[in-house]
Amino acid sequence: MHGAGEWSRRQVLVYSWVALLLAILGFLVIYPVLTLLLGALTDTNPVVEGVSLSRLSIANFLTVLKNPNVAEALFNTLVVCAGGTLIAVVIGLSFSWIVVRTNTPFKGIIAAASILPLFAPPLVAGVAWSILGSPKTGLINTFFKSAGLDWRVDFYSLSGLVFVFGIYYAPYVYMFTASALRNMDPSLEEAAEISGASAFSTLFTVTFPLIMPAIVSGMLLSFIVMLGIYGVPAVLGAPSNISVLTTYIFKLTNWSPPLYNTAAAVAIILMVVTGCLVVLQQKVLGRRSYTTVAGKAFRPRNLDLGPWRWLTLALGLVYLLVVVVLPTLALIVAAFRKFMFIRDIASLFDMRQYSLMHFDSIFDNPLTLNSIYNAVEVGIITAVVGGTLAFAIGYTIHRTEVAGRGAIDLIATLPVAIPGLVIGVAYLWAWIGIPGGLYGTIWILALAFIARFMPDTVKALSTSFLQIHRELEEAAWVCGRGMLSTLGTIVLPLARPGVIASMTLLFVLAIRELGSSLFLYTSNTMVMSVLLLDYYEGGNIGKTAAFSLVQTVLLGVLIGGANWLSRGTAQGGVVQGIR
Amino acid sequence: MFGRIVAFAVVAGLGVTLGSAPARADDNVGPPELIAAARAEGRLVYYTSNFAEVEQQVIKQFNKRFPEIRIEMVRAPGGQLITRVKTEAAAGKLIADVVDHSDRALMAELVDLFQDYTPPNAADYNPDAQVSPKLWPRATLVWSIAYNTELVKDPPKTWMDLTKPQYDKLTGQVFAQSGGTTWTRIMFERQVLGEDYWAKQAATHPILYPSGAPMSDALVRGEIAIGPLLYNAIYPKQKDGAPIKIFFPPEGAPVNPYATGIPKTSTHPNAAKLFLNWCLSTEGQTFMIKELGNLTSLKVAPVYPEGFDPKVVKVWYPNFDQYVKLHASWVADWDKTFGYRQ
Repeated sequence: MHGAGEWSRRQVLVYSWVALLLAILGFLVIYPVLTLLLGALTDTNPVVEGVSLSRLSIANFLTVLKNPNVAEALFNTLVVCAGGTLIAVVIGLSFSWIVVRTNTPFKGIIAAASILPLFAPPLVAGVAWSILGSPKTGLINTFFKSAGLDWRVDFYSLSGLVFVFGIYYAPYVYMFTASALRNMDPSLEEAAEISGASAFSTLFTVTFPLIMPAIVSGMLLSFIVMLGIYGVPAVLGAPSNISVLTTYIFKLTNWSPPLYNTAAAVAIILMVVTGCLVVLQQKVLGRRSYTTVAGKAFRPRNLDLGPWRWLTLALGLVYLLVVVVLPTLALIVAAFRKFMFIRDIASLFDMRQYSLMHFDSIFDNPLTLNSIYNAVEVGIITAVVGGTLAFAIGYTIHRTEVAGRGAIDLIATLPVAIPGLVIGVAYLWAWIGIPGGLYGTIWILALAFIARFMPDTVKALSTSFLQIHRELEEAAWVCGRGMLSTLGTIVLPLARPGVIASMTLLFVLAIRELGSSLFLYTSNTMVMSVLLLDYYEGGNIGKTAAFSLVQTVLLGVLIGGANWLSRGTAQGGVVQGIR
Repeated sequence: MFGRIVAFAVVAGLGVTLGSAPARADDNVGPPELIAAARAEGRLVYYTSNFAEVEQQVIKQFNKRFPEIRIEMVRAPGGQLITRVKTEAAAGKLIADVVDHSDRALMAELVDLFQDYTPPNAADYNPDAQVSPKLWPRATLVWSIAYNTELVKDPPKTWMDLTKPQYDKLTGQVFAQSGGTTWTRIMFERQVLGEDYWAKQAATHPILYPSGAPMSDALVRGEIAIGPLLYNAIYPKQKDGAPIKIFFPPEGAPVNPYATGIPKTSTHPNAAKLFLNWCLSTEGQTFMIKELGNLTSLKVAPVYPEGFDPKVVKVWYPNFDQYVKLHASWVADWDKTFGYRQ
């Protein structure tokens, strides 16, 4: 009797929990997406003209589908994202293996290099690579010319885009696969080697298949993130008139008069593409079990590469050079040089051309400090609230059997498919009318970022959940612990690296995010990314570069600090958990 | 060469003294009650589609005279700014005290949102520059041709020169769909320079840019060598010493006046009025001409930008009816001629 009462009380709790999550998701995701859909199906602004179902038509969709330029933009998008993902997987996976599983010297540097590109906002990456790789004025070509070489590079091309996408989004694959490798019991690999498999075949028959969920998640996420990137193709694609869907959407919103409804229709196409990918991922991952963290202790082991470890180190250094050193040098040159006209190598080293004028002018602008303060505030709110919400959602999806978790998963994944610019309009349309004055505060930005990056955060956390064996939780239950206590003593400490990693990711993404900020910021909530676009659109590459350096240094300091802090507490936390 | 520099400096210096002396004398920015009320309000929210950096300088200059009034700026490209204004207004949350926009046609549709406003020197303004008595040409931008002196040894001298085959693959253009200012220029090209001007220019394979700012940056870097640019987009770079020369071609200088007004819902209307009065005053216009490279819609210009000789260069205002009616079909023609993909 007592048991039955307990059971039904639990049922009520479970139902209210699911209902609560669905309500939050409804507000953050469903409601804005519906406004967007409505926008795509009408030719009106839902706030201005009101919601009128009588004017529904699929005219926008038909116009969009009939337009050969949309087809071309879609084709370019798929080529660039597929090519970029391929490069990202090769780089990300190689480096996570090198860092976690080998005795390569100076691994710390390689590990840092593998994450660093995340700090670079896409617009900055685009600008840096246009300084380096422009067919006419690029520094790389200037070097070739002065060295008497006949080689030339052209980054204003599809292959240039593929390359830049690939090297910048490799960290997504790296983050997923590195944490999976770290959590994997190496005894499985040892078993393969004892049975006579070579190190190489162990890698492909045991190691990589075991971390397949991480590889697929990282791959899919990097593909999807690339789908939504505006900055890189805007800078590198525009000079040769190469459109991808995001730049096409931006064009539509930027034309005068702006065509938001058509933009919404194009965005829906983007959502369909992404939706298919998500379903594909679930099909691939759904069939097998990937539990590798069980209740047994294991020691991490490093593969002795012998002399080959110098090759892996060299690979790491080349990557560091290409993805960090060269673009940073390009930005430093642009930030300190008065003008970016560089006739030859001698002119590049002409110190009279350099000054602090761009830094003086950005710090002379009162908006600069305001925007930094606002961006950090939004970043922290987004990381803490968004990380907590993502943990709740991730746990519900992966560790419980409650009804409705499929729906939660699907809804939480939706926002990934909507480009920032368009979702910015959707949030503006959806949330401006809410009483209580959300509009005009820092919270509307934070909520938009939480919603927009929920898929990234939930996916990043999922890998941790998938790997923690249920027997650990069951053990706690058997010992008489309740649900919350199990969460606090078992799941949270074990998933802690994942939680901290996702919160850090969320913080970085929030600071970088541009598209959805554009519509939601107001005069006293301007954030860094919006100001950066202002400098770029203002045609001042010097100030853009100077402000990018400021942003990069700031992110580096904040994240370095957070990492250092979390290292201290993580150990204490685990120790306390065991007691 | 030295002689020319000296002459130039003398002319420029003359411009400075001529420009600034009378500006202070007749700069009527409003009665003392307005100034007192504006100071009491202490702030205003300013929406503009002009470049943030440029407007930051305007605000700084205004604050030299009225340091008690804090101006909070929201800057967005034209299309996005209009969407924001419409949406905010519909939700009853328009927080702007001043809206400043480059496309008069888009602003004309929103004229009901604005309150009556007339600056003290209203009679001095050219009525052709206005689409409504509520909206004023706070800024007036003018087209010019600029080239990189390191790359072009035989520079063009006219609009027609831009079509010469010798400049093949050296030029850049802002595409037609980008907004009101570019629309003014391509209208000028077709109506004044000839029906086939676009085709001739397209034959030189220009690189197309989304706006004048990235294009002026590309010109400084040498990505392109020559192109038509808004004077205020390229002038600050020349002023800082970039290897750039700018000239106003003799066939005419297309001009785009902004439309600026005060919404009915403004919560700082006195500060808004004072700010607009100042911008529209001789003092404000002189500052924008000399420091930012604008022109003015005042009937009698207090000063001209460097290199602009009103005896040689005739300013060209578009006919507003045609500006509205021809837009869609001509822009479509332009896109086709230049192979710009929509």
